[in-house]
Amino acid sequence: MLLGIDVGGTFTDAVVIRNGKILASAKTPTTHYELLNGIITAIDKVLAKINLREVKRVALSTTIVTNALVEGKIDKVALLLLPGPGLNLAGLTPAQPYFLSGYTDHRGREQAAPVKDEVVAVCREIKDCKAVAVAGKFAVRNPAQEQVVAGWAGECLKPAHITLGAELSGALNYLRRVNSAYYNSAVWRIFTNFAVAIEAALAERGVAAPVYILKADGGTLPLAAAKARPVEAIFTGPAASVLGIMALAAPEGPAVSLDIGGTTTDIALWQNGAPLFAPGGARVNGFPTAVRSFWLRSVGVGGDSYVRRENGRIAVGPMRRGPAMANGGPEPAVTDALIVAGLIDYGDVALARQAMTKVAATGQTPEDAAWEALRTAADIVCQAIRDMLAEQAAMPVYKVEDIVYGEKFIPKLVIGVGGAALGLAPLVAEQMELPWQVPPGHMVANAVGAASARQTTEITLRADTAQGFYTVPELGIKRDIDRRRFTLDDAWAAADNHLAERAAAGGLTEATCHSERLYEEEFNVIRGFNTIGKIITCKLQLKPGVLTQVTAQEVGQ
Amino acid sequence: MTGKSLGLVFFPAFDWAITPSHPEREERLLYTRDQIVEEGLLDLPAIREYRPRLAQIQDAERVHIGVPDIASLITDAHLVSAGGAITAAEAVMHREVNRAFALVRPPGHHAMRVVHGTRGFCTINIEAIMVEYLRRYYGLNRVAIVDTDVHHGDGTQDIFYHDPDTLFISFHQDGRTLYPGTGAIHEMGSPGALCSTVNIPLPPGTTDAGLHYVLDNLVLPVLEDFKPDIIINSAGQDNHYSDPLANMAVTAQGYALLAEKLKADIAVLEGGYSIEDALPYVNTGIILAMAGLDYSRVIEPDIARCPRQSDANTRYIAKLVTEWQEIWHARNKLRHEAVAKAGDFWQRRRGIYYDDSGIQEQRTETVRLCPRCHGYLTISTQAEGYPFGRKSAFAAIIPRNACPVCRNQAHDAVQKAKKEGRHDHCFIQDKDKDTLEHI
Ligand SMILES: [Zn+2]
Ligand SMILES: [Zn+2]
Repeated sequence: MLLGIDVGGTFTDAVVIRNGKILASAKTPTTHYELLNGIITAIDKVLAKINLREVKRVALSTTIVTNALVEGKIDKVALLLLPGPGLNLAGLTPAQPYFLSGYTDHRGREQAAPVKDEVVAVCREIKDCKAVAVAGKFAVRNPAQEQVVAGWAGECLKPAHITLGAELSGALNYLRRVNSAYYNSAVWRIFTNFAVAIEAALAERGVAAPVYILKADGGTLPLAAAKARPVEAIFTGPAASVLGIMALAAPEGPAVSLDIGGTTTDIALWQNGAPLFAPGGARVNGFPTAVRSFWLRSVGVGGDSYVRRENGRIAVGPMRRGPAMANGGPEPAVTDALIVAGLIDYGDVALARQAMTKVAATGQTPEDAAWEALRTAADIVCQAIRDMLAEQAAMPVYKVEDIVYGEKFIPKLVIGVGGAALGLAPLVAEQMELPWQVPPGHMVANAVGAASARQTTEITLRADTAQGFYTVPELGIKRDIDRRRFTLDDAWAAADNHLAERAAAGGLTEATCHSERLYEEEFNVIRGFNTIGKIITCKLQLKPGVLTQVTAQEVGQ
Repeated sequence: MTGKSLGLVFFPAFDWAITPSHPEREERLLYTRDQIVEEGLLDLPAIREYRPRLAQIQDAERVHIGVPDIASLITDAHLVSAGGAITAAEAVMHREVNRAFALVRPPGHHAMRVVHGTRGFCTINIEAIMVEYLRRYYGLNRVAIVDTDVHHGDGTQDIFYHDPDTLFISFHQDGRTLYPGTGAIHEMGSPGALCSTVNIPLPPGTTDAGLHYVLDNLVLPVLEDFKPDIIINSAGQDNHYSDPLANMAVTAQGYALLAEKLKADIAVLEGGYSIEDALPYVNTGIILAMAGLDYSRVIEPDIARCPRQSDANTRYIAKLVTEWQEIWHARNKLRHEAVAKAGDFWQRRRGIYYDDSGIQEQRTETVRLCPRCHGYLTISTQAEGYPFGRKSAFAAIIPRNACPVCRNQAHDAVQKAKKEGRHDHCFIQDKDKDTLEHI
C-alpha cells in the first residue's frame, strides 16, 4: 500500500493506492503557516479506514523548500568559491561570495593550489554562518579542491552543514552549481526541521513505512538522503502532477500534458513515455541552478482565472479574484464559463449564468459569452504550447547529423488533469487538432504521482585516458585507470557499478534495473599527429517513472 | 530589442573532421564547449544561443563556382557552418541581439571564388556567403570585413578583389613566413577597387602591443573613413602564443580587447588550432567582450610563457603602419591613376595550390573596367590533381547592378568559350538574377 501526499497552493491531497487502484483519497485546505498541520490532517483523513501496518511507503510532495525560498526564510550561507580564470561572478550569485585562489582547468588538472590561510581568514570573518557552500570551477572534472576547502572550512567554522557543488550535479555549468550549492545550504535547516517533524508525526500514528520526498525531476529521495540535498525538493508540485499523468495515462507517443488547476495551467511535453527535462536545470528565484527538473511552462489560466470584458473583447487571467461566482466568488471566472457552456456540472448554475451575463456584450447570450471566454482561455494555452514547440525546435544541437536528420517533435495527444481539465483540455485539443484524454483520477493526479513515483538518480563518469584517471563528481570520486586499455565499454561498466553503489547507499531499493544511458561522448586527445588518449563521458540515470500504473474510478471529495 | 546583447551560434560539429588527426577535426571546439558551458555563459541574460540553420546550395552558388559543381565538393557540415553564419547575421538584422558570434566549423576564409577542392581547411567561404546573403535579402551595400586570423584571408580577398563596396582588411603573420604566402601590402584590389583590400603583414612574434598599435592607428581609422553599413570580423584565433601552426604572441586579453574595440556586428570563427590551451580562453574572452561583459578575469593558466615583443618588431610595425597611412590618404588619387593606366580590361594570371586536396590550379582573371558599373569578370581555370586528373572551366560573372554592356559582353564571352570547346565546363554567374548557370 502506497501513501502519497501532495501539498498544493490551495489544497493538500492524500491518496492511498493498493495494487494499482486508488483505495482512498482526501483533500484538506493547505495550512501555509503551519504546513505540517494540514499534512497531518490529510493523512489522518485518508488513513481513517486503513490498516496502518499495510502502508509500505509514504511519499510526500511538499512546498516547504519553495515557500522558504519565496518567503526568504533561509539561512545565511558562507559561499566559498574557487572560480579560476573566466567570467566575473560578482553580482551573478544570490549571495555575496568569497573568491578563493586555487583552480582546476577543463581537463581536471590543478593549475593552482587552494590556500589554507585564505580559507581560515574568511572563516574568521563569517563566524556566525551555520551553513557553508563550496564550489570550484571544473570540480566536476576533479573534485579534490572542493573537498580540501570544505575540510578546512569544517575545521574552522564547525558549521551545521556544508554543501559541495560537484556532489549536487555532475554536469558542467559552474554558475548553476554555485547557485544550487548556495540554495541547498540556505534551506538545509528549515527542511531538516520539517523532515524531523514529519518523521515524528508519522511515528506517533504508528506508520512505520519509510518516507520519501519527491524531487523536481519526478524522482523520490529517502528522507535521510533528502536532508543532505534539500534543494532538489523544490518545485515538486508540478513534478507530482507529471508523475500522476504517467501513472494514470502512461502516454507512449509524443504528447502534451496540461495540469489545469485553480489559477494556472502547467504544460509539459512528452516523448517515449517520459516528460522532457528543462535544459540545464530549474531556475530558483530567477537564478539558474543545476537542479534537474521537468521542462514545464505555467500560464495564468485555470478554473478561478478572472474573466472580464476589455476593449470589447473577453479577457481571461492571469489574475484570480477569488473563486468562481458559482462557488460564491465575487467576479466571473473560467469555472462559471465551463458551467454555463454545459461542460461541467458543479456549483450554482444560476450564479454562473449571472457571471456570464455580466461579461456578455450587448445582444450576446450568456452561453455565447461563456464560449467566447473558453476559446480565449484555450487560445492562451495553445499559444504557450506553440511557443514551447518552437523552443524545442530551436534547441541547440552540436552534431551535423542532428541538424540534417534531427526529427521534429510533433505531439499526437493532449492529456489533461486537474480541476478544470474536463472542460478545457478538449477545447485546447480541438484547436491543436489533436485527440485528447482526461484519465479517471485526474482530480488527485498530484497525490497519485507522489504516491507512485520511483526513485531516480544520475551519475556522470568522465575518463581522461591520456591523464589516466576518471571522475564521478556526484560521488566525489577520482580514480586511476589503465591509460592504454580503458575503453568506452569499461567506462559504461564502471558507471553501472557506481550507479548501483549510489542507489544502494541512498536506500534506493530497486537498484539499477531501470537504468538508462542518457549520453555518451568519446574524443581523441591528439598531440602532433598522434592519438595519445581518449576523453570519454558517460551519463547514466535511474529513469524517472512510476512504481505502478494506477487506475481509478472517480473518487469522492 | 529583447535586452540580449549577443547572439551566439555555437556549432562544434562533433561528428565532422577533415581527417582524424588533422588540426580541423572533431574535438577542435570540444574544450571551448567545456569552458563556455562550465562558465554558464549560455545562461547569462546578455547572451542568447541560436541553433544554426542549413544553408542552401544556392546560398553557396551566390559566391562560388564549383568545378564541376559545389554540391559534389562539400559535405553537410559546410552547409551548417555557412548556415550558422547566416543565422548569426539574421539575429542581428532582426534586432533580436546587438551583435552575434558564429562559433562554427569548418572555417572558410581560404576558399576562393572558384572551388576545385579544399585548401587551408576551407572549401566554401562562410563569411562571403553570409555577406552576399545579406546583400541579397537585406539590401546592405557597404560591408567591411576585418580578418583577424593569423593566416592571410586570401579566399575572402579573392572574392571581393574587384568590389569597391567591400572593404577587406587582413592582418596576419607575414606571408613570407606562413601559409598561404600571400597578403603583401601591394595586393590592394584591382584598379576599380584599389585600396578596398588592406593587407597588413606582421612579423612573427607580434604581441598584443603590436596588434593594438595596428588596430588603433590603422584599422579603426580606416573603418571610420569607409563608413560601412556593417562590420564583420573573420575571427581567427591562431595569433595566440600557443598556436601550433603560427608564430605570433597574442593573448586572450589581446583578442578580447580587440573584439571590444572593433565592435563588429557579426563575428565568424575562422582558424585557431591551440584547441586546449588557447581556444577555451580566447573564445570566452571574445564572447564576454562582444556581450559587453567583464572579461578582465579571462587569463590563460600558462600566460607566463607568452613572449614579449622585440624592439625591432615594434619599430617594424610602426613603419608598416605609417606606410599604409600614407597609401590610405592618397587612395582616391591612386585609384584614378590605376584605372587610367589599365585601360578597358585588367588581367591577372596566377597559380593556386590546394594544400588539403593536393590540387594545382592555374587561373586567368579578366575584369572590365567599366565606367557605369563594377564591370563583369571572366575566369579561365585549369586544375590538376588526384583523383580527377585535369579539369577546366570558364566562368563569366555579372556583378550587382551591372550595366547592359557588361551584361551582354559577359554572355558573349561565355558563348564564345563554349564554342571554342577548350574548357570542360562553362558557367555564367548573374548576381542580379541570383543564378549560376552551367552552360
Ligand atoms: Zn588561420
Ligand atoms: Zn558595366
